[in-house]
Amino acid sequence: MSRARWLAPVVAFVALAFLVAVLPSFISAFRAQQLAYVAIYLIALIGLNVLTGYTGQISLGHGAFMAIGGYTTAILIADHGVKDIWTIPIAGILTGVVGFLFGIPALRLSGLYLALATFAIAVSMPAVIKRFEGFTGGGSGINLFGLPDLTASLTPVTVLGRELTFNDWLYYLCWTIALVGYVVAWLLLRGRTGRAFRAVRDSETAAQSSGVSLPKYKTLAFGVSAAYAGVAGSLFAIATTFVNPDTFPIALSILLLVGVVVGGLGSLVGLIAGAVFIQFLPIWSQEVSKSPGAPAIVSGVVLIALMFVLPMGFAGLLARVRTLTKR
Amino acid sequence: MKPKLTFALTALVLTLAIGVTAAFAGTTRSSADPGVTSTSILLGTTSPLSGVASAYASVARGADAYFKYVNARGGVNGRKISDTIVDDQYNPQQTVLATRKLVEQDGVFAMFNTLGTEQNLAIRDYLNANKVPQLFAASGATAFGSESAKYPYTIGLQPSYQAEGWVLGKYLARTQGSAKVAVLFQNDDYGKDLLNGLKKGMQRSKARVVAAEPFEATAPDVQSQMAKLRSSGASTLAIFATPKHAIQAYVFANRLNWKPKLTLTNAVASASNIMLLASEGGKNKVVEGSVSIVFLKDPTDPKWKNDAAMKLYRSIMKRYAASANVDDVYHVYGMAAAWTAVEALRKAGKNLTRSGLVKVTSSMNFSGNPFLLPGIGLKTGPGDHFPIEQMVLQRWHKGSWKSFGGIWGYRTA
Repeated sequence: MSRARWLAPVVAFVALAFLVAVLPSFISAFRAQQLAYVAIYLIALIGLNVLTGYTGQISLGHGAFMAIGGYTTAILIADHGVKDIWTIPIAGILTGVVGFLFGIPALRLSGLYLALATFAIAVSMPAVIKRFEGFTGGGSGINLFGLPDLTASLTPVTVLGRELTFNDWLYYLCWTIALVGYVVAWLLLRGRTGRAFRAVRDSETAAQSSGVSLPKYKTLAFGVSAAYAGVAGSLFAIATTFVNPDTFPIALSILLLVGVVVGGLGSLVGLIAGAVFIQFLPIWSQEVSKSPGAPAIVSGVVLIALMFVLPMGFAGLLARVRTLTKR
Repeated sequence: MKPKLTFALTALVLTLAIGVTAAFAGTTRSSADPGVTSTSILLGTTSPLSGVASAYASVARGADAYFKYVNARGGVNGRKISDTIVDDQYNPQQTVLATRKLVEQDGVFAMFNTLGTEQNLAIRDYLNANKVPQLFAASGATAFGSESAKYPYTIGLQPSYQAEGWVLGKYLARTQGSAKVAVLFQNDDYGKDLLNGLKKGMQRSKARVVAAEPFEATAPDVQSQMAKLRSSGASTLAIFATPKHAIQAYVFANRLNWKPKLTLTNAVASASNIMLLASEGGKNKVVEGSVSIVFLKDPTDPKWKNDAAMKLYRSIMKRYAASANVDDVYHVYGMAAAWTAVEALRKAGKNLTRSGLVKVTSSMNFSGNPFLLPGIGLKTGPGDHFPIEQMVLQRWHKGSWKSFGGIWGYRTA
């Protein structure tokens, strides 16, 4: 039984990795680029789920953490000539530290108050970025397209003997990092740390009385979560080849929370569906109708309907199917 | 274990399959440039159809209506124009994605009338690297016209903000040579371009800026800035803002009991409905006599009631955009842009290529755009990618704008 317990997820993961690896041969380069964004959202959603789904701390400010990662990458590439892939870990670490530090004052807040505090970060971030214009390029932002340190933006890149265009390169880069991030999160959450996170979520008092340090695990969750958001933001900047304050609007933070809820709070498998959902819903809803305001209404209706049908998100759907097949 | 495994696999495959559907939608053409066949031209536009800036969506709608009108009359050189409009919610990241989709998946011949300064900046390098024309960027940022050597495929349309400021400055220099000007400006490229233009226009006269107060585009109000400007003892007030802050500036000037001899305001902030709001039902005397610039025919201006072009405008709107507000001047802007695109495509000839089109837009000398004020032409040349550099002054009098004087042309250098 214990063997079966880890075998199923491992086989499923290998199948997923295989599917990810061969998919670009069957789809257009443009579709590959869209799927690269799915991977980027997946990374951000994993991070947000560590904080919100597993540790129970609601964040409406993850767009701001993505902005920190994105700007770190953009400034390093444009002003300091750092190769794009090396900026990714730097952005992740820096954002992780910022998230950890934010976690300290956030200890005093819980529930809705924490949600409001994180929302305030998301609201103020564009203004802060515009304030330091010499550093961030202000409202005009920073353009990366065509810079020599941005891999494959002008000429294809050869990786492991295969020539990749910009879109395919983005696809493999983002999905590789997303899958690694997925495994890291899985390992982190299945063990002692994950149990502590869940204990904090379910009852802070009970967790404390069993010896779980609230400050330690809450700040850790903030740090890990922000580091994921930072990596996602970094890839976001690389894939979009442009950052400006409006690239990371308040709507992005809300969209991420929608992605986690649609995917399923406290589950990793469902997040892939959540990432697909937030990447493609705006595109689908525009295809339904383009008349004024219609796409927004379509998105809203789909979301409400989905929450009625799948109150626990896609993860809940999977769980229900699982109980059905067991009978 | 087995059901669990099959189940996990199925779920994953299903999820990814969603992304793969319609993967083969994109088609490739073998001809030299994408987006052109003997019967069609494919253009792409991004526009804020939803979100905070959705008021600007009228620009794309006006243009779309005009293309439909042209198509109904046979198109351009036998080709019908199909313009795909994608919503970018005024978010440059969405603009980049939508533009890549239009170029790489839909295979558009050119991007047309992309709305917004940052939005156009975000796609400029990409489009030029791929040699896709970026036609008539809907922004007055100076960068789109002045950097034509580096970005030959990019071209603007409307007068640059710098040109607008310059004309207002020139007007001050001529009519009130000793004016002391207090300037309220938005603290970004937009406000700074206007301020720089104003200063340049006043050069070689005794008129000068005695106080300039910036405000952030996100600032809740401009009260403290207005108080400082009032204490500068200036005789003239210049408001370089977007609608919300322009209204506040007028209202605060009135509250502070400040009566500048003259108030100047920029075109974006001075649509009739905004001026009516600022006038507080006629009680705000600062609004009366304000001077601004104009280059489009305003559908609410009684002067154009029987104008042939505006009659055509109304009939096109009625037929192709029936539910839209005909009085919205942004529709006229869209039609003016569409007219220019049609003219450029016509001049580029039967053998239409991207480089051929860029050659036309880089040496334009079009006159007779019916949606622009009479006498305003569209002209470009080497190092000058600003099509419209002429404008007319207008004065706010008793509840509406009245244009006065002749055409003012902006001369660089």
